[in-house]
Amino acid sequence: MKDVSPEHLADLLARTALRDHAAFAKLYEATRAKLFAVSLRIVGERPLAEEVLQDTFVNIWNHARDYAPSKSAPLTWMFAIARNRSLDIVRRTRELPDIDDALAGNLVGDEPEALDEMARRSDAHKLHQCLDELEADQRQAIGLAFFHGLSHSELAEHLRRPLGTVKTHVRRGLNRLRDCLARRGAGESLGS
Amino acid sequence: MKRPTGDLAQALAAEYVLGTLRGRARQRFETWIGEDSALARVVAAWEAGLMPMAERLPGVEPPARVWKAIEARIGRRSDESVWSNAALWRAWAAIASGVAVVLLAFFTWLSQGPRGEPLFVAVLSSTQAVPYGVVSMHSPDILRIRMVRPVGDSPDRELELWVIPKEGAPRSLGVMPNERGDTIIHITSSDPRVRGAVSLAVSLEPPGGSPTKRPTGPMVLSGPIAPVRRG
Repeated sequence: MKDVSPEHLADLLARTALRDHAAFAKLYEATRAKLFAVSLRIVGERPLAEEVLQDTFVNIWNHARDYAPSKSAPLTWMFAIARNRSLDIVRRTRELPDIDDALAGNLVGDEPEALDEMARRSDAHKLHQCLDELEADQRQAIGLAFFHGLSHSELAEHLRRPLGTVKTHVRRGLNRLRDCLARRGAGESLGS
Repeated sequence: MKRPTGDLAQALAAEYVLGTLRGRARQRFETWIGEDSALARVVAAWEAGLMPMAERLPGVEPPARVWKAIEARIGRRSDESVWSNAALWRAWAAIASGVAVVLLAFFTWLSQGPRGEPLFVAVLSSTQAVPYGVVSMHSPDILRIRMVRPVGDSPDRELELWVIPKEGAPRSLGVMPNERGDTIIHITSSDPRVRGAVSLAVSLEPPGGSPTKRPTGPMVLSGPIAPVRRG
């Protein structure tokens, strides 16, 4: 993956909105592996994840002109499309996917030590710090739901906890994230 | 159920973005997002908050057949058959003859404008190919944008005109009101902003134009630049 700066991706999206086929191809090139990884975790099987990736990019082609850089970062906008499509398509009666507990647990894993000023102010860094403030149970439930698209009942099954407990972990964890992100100035609309 | 506000809106938006809001509740919530811009902003804020988690995932290369399938699907939109050179050329011929008709009308109309043939013209159309205006470059330094109708119903937005170069980021030529009428921008044809230009585009921006020197609103109009004479 070469240049995936938000500015570059926003430029490619603007050109895609103008029906620039070459720009769309570059956009796919720059983001396919990330979007495929996100879908694959949620839907659990490659053929289904390939379908999601196809739908995601057809959707991006059709709706690129609705993308407004003032409202969201390009990758955020694209991730949201891929995740929504994955959650739509994921089988209701599926077996629980192979769950990577390490990934959810490592959400607060080490960050590179020498962060420059830009990185320190980035949304990723703020989120990382805020996840660090959660209790372990809350962080685990949120990580599993986010990466594997687990529903409340799937979370309860996987974690072997009562449904009500799991729902509480998710709700309280999200509340604390909201307070923390708002405090750090990530997202004005998270204030009450 | 009524549309949620306040803390309930926050809680539902968070679970929607996280993915734990499922089934009918998810669908209903999606409908509300479409109807309620305040709720849409809350969802966007949660997306901005949580999506950076996804950036931590190591990438996985998809097989090449996915891109082929995407190309086939977006190609079919402009033609019944699979995307092919023949289809491409038919589409191009149709567009080119459409442009020729517009240009002819334009030249007749031009006699009321600045004197002499323009250096280049561009017809600004929506993605549905509806023309909204014509841009023409006149020597020595007059770029005229003639809008024939406003874009959408965005009275609080201005239009910002961008040069799309062959490579690199769009370059702003300035803002103009979103209404019928002429705007004149003084710029010479040797200005670096128009170097390598292949098309012009228009985005919707807050009054005064993009605060970031790049388009921040949706690109609503565009048109390829057609050179008319050598400058």
